[in-house]
Amino acid sequence: NFNTVSSIKVGVCVCVCVCVCVTSSATRTPLNNVGVQRRSKSYRLSYRSCLGTAASRLGLTPALTARRLNTSRRALKPHGVAEKVDPEQLALLVKTEWQLSYVTPLHQFRHTQLKSYSRRLAAFIAAGKQQGLAVAVENPQTTFRVSFSLVEGMTESADDAETVLIQIHARPSFAGQDEPQRPAWSGWLTCVNGNPDYLRSLPKDFTCLPLFGSSGAEGLGALVKSWFQQSFDCCFGPLEVSHTSLQWLMALWTNCHTEASIQHLKMIWTLPAVPPLEVTYTVNPEDAWELWRSVRKQKENRGGGGEEEENCIDIEEVADFVQGLKSHFYRHFRLDLSAGSLNQVSTALGSAKHSGRMKISNSRYMTTTLTLLTESALLKMPI
Amino acid sequence: MDDTTKRLVQRLVKRIPAQMLRTTLDKWDRLTGEQKKSMDFTQSKWALTEKMLDLCEVNGLSVKHLTELEMIYIIDNPNKGMWYAFQLMDPQDDAHSVELMQFKEQFKSHLKELVRHVSIKIKKHTDEAVWIRIAWGDTFARPNHLKPTYVVHYLQSPYVFVTSLTLKQKPLLSQALVLSTRYQAIKDANLSGRKLTAIRDLLMRKYQQVFPTKYPSPLPENNPTISSIETFFVLLQMACEAFGGGMLPQLQSAVYKLETKFRDNSNKTMSEREEPFKCVVKFASTNLLESFRHCASSGIASTPVTPLLSCIPLKGRNYFVITDNGPGPSSQMRQPQN
Repeated sequence: NFNTVSSIKVGVCVCVCVCVCVTSSATRTPLNNVGVQRRSKSYRLSYRSCLGTAASRLGLTPALTARRLNTSRRALKPHGVAEKVDPEQLALLVKTEWQLSYVTPLHQFRHTQLKSYSRRLAAFIAAGKQQGLAVAVENPQTTFRVSFSLVEGMTESADDAETVLIQIHARPSFAGQDEPQRPAWSGWLTCVNGNPDYLRSLPKDFTCLPLFGSSGAEGLGALVKSWFQQSFDCCFGPLEVSHTSLQWLMALWTNCHTEASIQHLKMIWTLPAVPPLEVTYTVNPEDAWELWRSVRKQKENRGGGGEEEENCIDIEEVADFVQGLKSHFYRHFRLDLSAGSLNQVSTALGSAKHSGRMKISNSRYMTTTLTLLTESALLKMPI
Repeated sequence: MDDTTKRLVQRLVKRIPAQMLRTTLDKWDRLTGEQKKSMDFTQSKWALTEKMLDLCEVNGLSVKHLTELEMIYIIDNPNKGMWYAFQLMDPQDDAHSVELMQFKEQFKSHLKELVRHVSIKIKKHTDEAVWIRIAWGDTFARPNHLKPTYVVHYLQSPYVFVTSLTLKQKPLLSQALVLSTRYQAIKDANLSGRKLTAIRDLLMRKYQQVFPTKYPSPLPENNPTISSIETFFVLLQMACEAFGGGMLPQLQSAVYKLETKFRDNSNKTMSEREEPFKCVVKFASTNLLESFRHCASSGIASTPVTPLLSCIPLKGRNYFVITDNGPGPSSQMRQPQN
């Protein structure tokens, strides 16, 4: 009976084609060095112009291909991060969920001045509190102790600047209280396997630590960013984990299954129904691994030979893997996941959300995850 | 006032929102008009608790009375906690003539035989529902009133809904129910949710069902004589046939445990694999059936709607284990082994 049926709200169906490349806004011109209106500091080469040499099957101009993430990358090998980095520091980095941002290069940042930075940031926070800036603490008498520390061993490349870890502990004013174990806020700046051409092209005064992770009281995080912006004339911006990056992580993590069990491959998709429909699709680790292996085998059969190739994973393989998962789903539910969006992926090795939140659960595979994210951060930076 | 009574008062005042507390106390009818007036519902919960403890002391109220209060609140607000549906199977000849008094007596006596110390309260609600509150004890311990089980049974139907039941308690409750309703067995209906009203409406089909009309279905794809408006209505019709018309019961999730083989023409290796591709798919939404209906009517889901999804309202369940059943193309439904 149509009378009753017409009272239902129905939305218009929109078929969304998932584009594999990361696109930037149309208003940016990649090659013309738009004069940076800040104290006559201009970057010698834009990041994007350095990517002209990246794999480009279509032979397009560098400007266009430069907007993609690398289309192929080294397979995740357990790097000896566990041996190289101080275990206490490593413990602070893993098993915490971080909110990611990109940071433009820092002007006159010195790794030797960390103690001085700790004092200056602490003073800045105290001043900020006085001005009534929102710093959520239960006790208004609380003072903060800030510590900057160097985290050595995170990266193998000589071009990468060393990672810096920042912790802010709340020190309650009344005597006799032990210092709380967990910091009120912690964060880090890092650069892991950043594009060497770009890094070398920066003027000497600049330090590039494009990836920033933050966890804890948001008010404190905002103050930290403010202080960096003022002190080193840089710019922070939100870093989403793009759909492409999420799919890369799915493949890279699954690839590790024989060495370190992923325990499950979990994806969270949202379909644009009214009301919105959330789909949590969790695949058994052995089955995910078998599917991934079959995709890799197909590439081998297609003539990708040589050991060099074996260590390399192409975006096509990632796409085939994800497509396999989608088609299995479609066969059962006749719902095309491509019509929705991928919001989150997770395995026992870590998790990542489109909103820009990331967690590394197993330090052995930290390097490739951070390499991917460093690349995203460099791409997202304006200029 | 003993400890249990105190803790029960604390728990109730903490749990019941201030605005509901007033109406619930009215229905309870154990406080005088004066006493009710003296309660200030804008005060903190702690202050209200103290006040309630005083009043209960003055009126000589005990656990027995407080459990009444709790029951009144739960019956009026059944959409909290997790409810599980069960279905009674194989009725005996006299199952359909069991009426309230008989059921009450039988249930109480059977359960008391199975459990040494147990406190049972049975109340008939307006819509044919029989509500049962059970506080469980055992040979050594007195009934624990802080962790009661609630059971709702619709007489004249084989359906039972339960919340807060432990694995140990399950067989005891099952036995008491089966014996007092004159059925032979009880099974898991594979339907659960936070809203009792939603799972009840779904299982007992208390929503508008839409039946096929004269329109042909499925719609021939390349038929130029059918306009887009007609396509729209046909899809809408199919969507409603699958999921229902009008307001739909607010089911919030459905879980499918898939153990079917991977079949994809573009991937020979996986298609030849003998082992099933194991995965679990969970759908969630503030109103799952509406989301599905919208998917079907707007083209996000391909029509005809897959039986896996339309099974939710058809069979009144939201947990499925799907295996390959014979050499057929797509997976079919199979009852999980119980």
